[in-house]
Amino acid sequence: MLLSIISQSFFQPFSIEDNLLVILTALTSGSGVGFNRAMLFRTSGEVLKGELWLGPKSAEEANSIWEVLSTPGIGYVEIIEHNRALLSRQADSLSKRLKPLVYSLDREPLSIPALAAAKREVVWVKDARSEPSVDKTFLDVVGVDEWLCVPLFSGEEVLGEVVLDNAITRRPIEHKDVKLASLCGLMAGNYMYATMLHKKLVDMERMAALGEMAMFVIHQLRNPLAAIGGFTDQLVNFPNDEVRTRRNLDIIREEIKRLEDVLFKLTPFLKMDMRKPISFELPPVVQAVLQGPNIQAKRESIPIEVEIEDRLPEILGDPTYVGEALRNLLDNALEATEKGGRVSVRAGRQEKKWVILCIQDTGKGLPESVKDKLFDPFFSTKDRGMGVGLFYVKRVMDAYGGRIEVESELGKGTLFRLFFRSREEKGENP
Amino acid sequence: MKKLLIVEDEEALCLLYKEELSREGYDVTTVHDTEQALEMLGRESFDLIVTDIRMPGRDGVELITEIMGLRKDIPIIINTAYQSYREDFMTWAADAYVVKSSSLDELKSKIKELLS
Repeated sequence: MLLSIISQSFFQPFSIEDNLLVILTALTSGSGVGFNRAMLFRTSGEVLKGELWLGPKSAEEANSIWEVLSTPGIGYVEIIEHNRALLSRQADSLSKRLKPLVYSLDREPLSIPALAAAKREVVWVKDARSEPSVDKTFLDVVGVDEWLCVPLFSGEEVLGEVVLDNAITRRPIEHKDVKLASLCGLMAGNYMYATMLHKKLVDMERMAALGEMAMFVIHQLRNPLAAIGGFTDQLVNFPNDEVRTRRNLDIIREEIKRLEDVLFKLTPFLKMDMRKPISFELPPVVQAVLQGPNIQAKRESIPIEVEIEDRLPEILGDPTYVGEALRNLLDNALEATEKGGRVSVRAGRQEKKWVILCIQDTGKGLPESVKDKLFDPFFSTKDRGMGVGLFYVKRVMDAYGGRIEVESELGKGTLFRLFFRSREEKGENP
Repeated sequence: MKKLLIVEDEEALCLLYKEELSREGYDVTTVHDTEQALEMLGRESFDLIVTDIRMPGRDGVELITEIMGLRKDIPIIINTAYQSYREDFMTWAADAYVVKSSSLDELKSKIKELLS
């Protein structure tokens, strides 16, 4: 039970704080190792800082907590919720007493509790009052004579420490408790390390994407600026050439429009922050996009056929982003299609899991060479394209567990399929 | 009259360079991409080339490589919106690197310098 809860916790989409809380719970729940209380320290630079202290304040409170946690079939989500509530109730007691505690990890002599983390070894304190290396403040805070310090580390990297005791039951710590607690410590340490690395990687990727984008924006702005500057200088140098003045002013106006266009197209892309998915009906979103002024104007020369299956299940995502994604695809489709061609929008379901939205055109199609790069940021097949449209669409689809597929043949047209997760699949609906 | 070949995909900038550099007394030919530039180089001889880097199709770095392969000793100026290509060692083969700005002064003086 204990180990399964801990290993489960590594694969859940909760924050590291929540997951550490589960580990502390596992160490203190009756069916787990069974310590009464667990405190968590985390390293920050070269110091160890008190962070969380989970456990009952009294025997009465202990009974009610242990009862909840030993309920048969209790799962990860329930434990998280229970402990969040417990922590917020005791926000002014246990953890508050722990938080001011800070210990250096590299300054000798090392005191207990810092010793365990610094040496990356379990330290079992049996009679704290006769142990000279125990920090007196810590002893006052803990208030018992026996406890176990378990370091949290991975390789050389020290990430924190857990201190466990039996302040309520006063049951002496046994060898088998020490073994299990050490094992938990090892797992938790590696989990924290993996989470840290993952976060670093995500940050690095984000920075790289940002750098790429900054480069691109600079280019998009410098070209129009060079033209505006050059033609303005001509206006100054040839004030009496009316024909040239007229022409230059037209060019300058045009280039300014381009600058605005760059900003306009980048805005939705930059401010895109993924909210929690909600379930919503796709057909009204499709209709709203089709009624948009931009699409309406183009529909006059190229007809759009719409075919939506009855009683589609609701889909998961964000209607604003999905609408914007559809608008992007329709814009592309209408642009790629010559007069006399057709664009169609179809929506239907595939098994229980998916709702599929297809956008198809009879336009010029995509050459093989661009298919791989189609969804890359800042890649465009259009002369003055920004290359953010399809990248945006893909981001929207990825964010909510969907996907996008493309089929295209030169001279025949292109078909985009958007796969949305249906709400039914999540079992929220009978 | 010294002959310049300008490789630039932006229509408005081509017009600007053509007018301004002609006024400086050069014979200016503008083309929009690497293919056209190579075709032009096969047909005529030029005294200097000004090229952008990021262009649709094959980019300016490929153009420089091709020109080096032709063993033609023509001075090349890279004229681009990107500062970062300065670190790309292929661009070191060029004789000058000008970052596009709202003034043509730097480009004009680099051309003059290389042709003197």
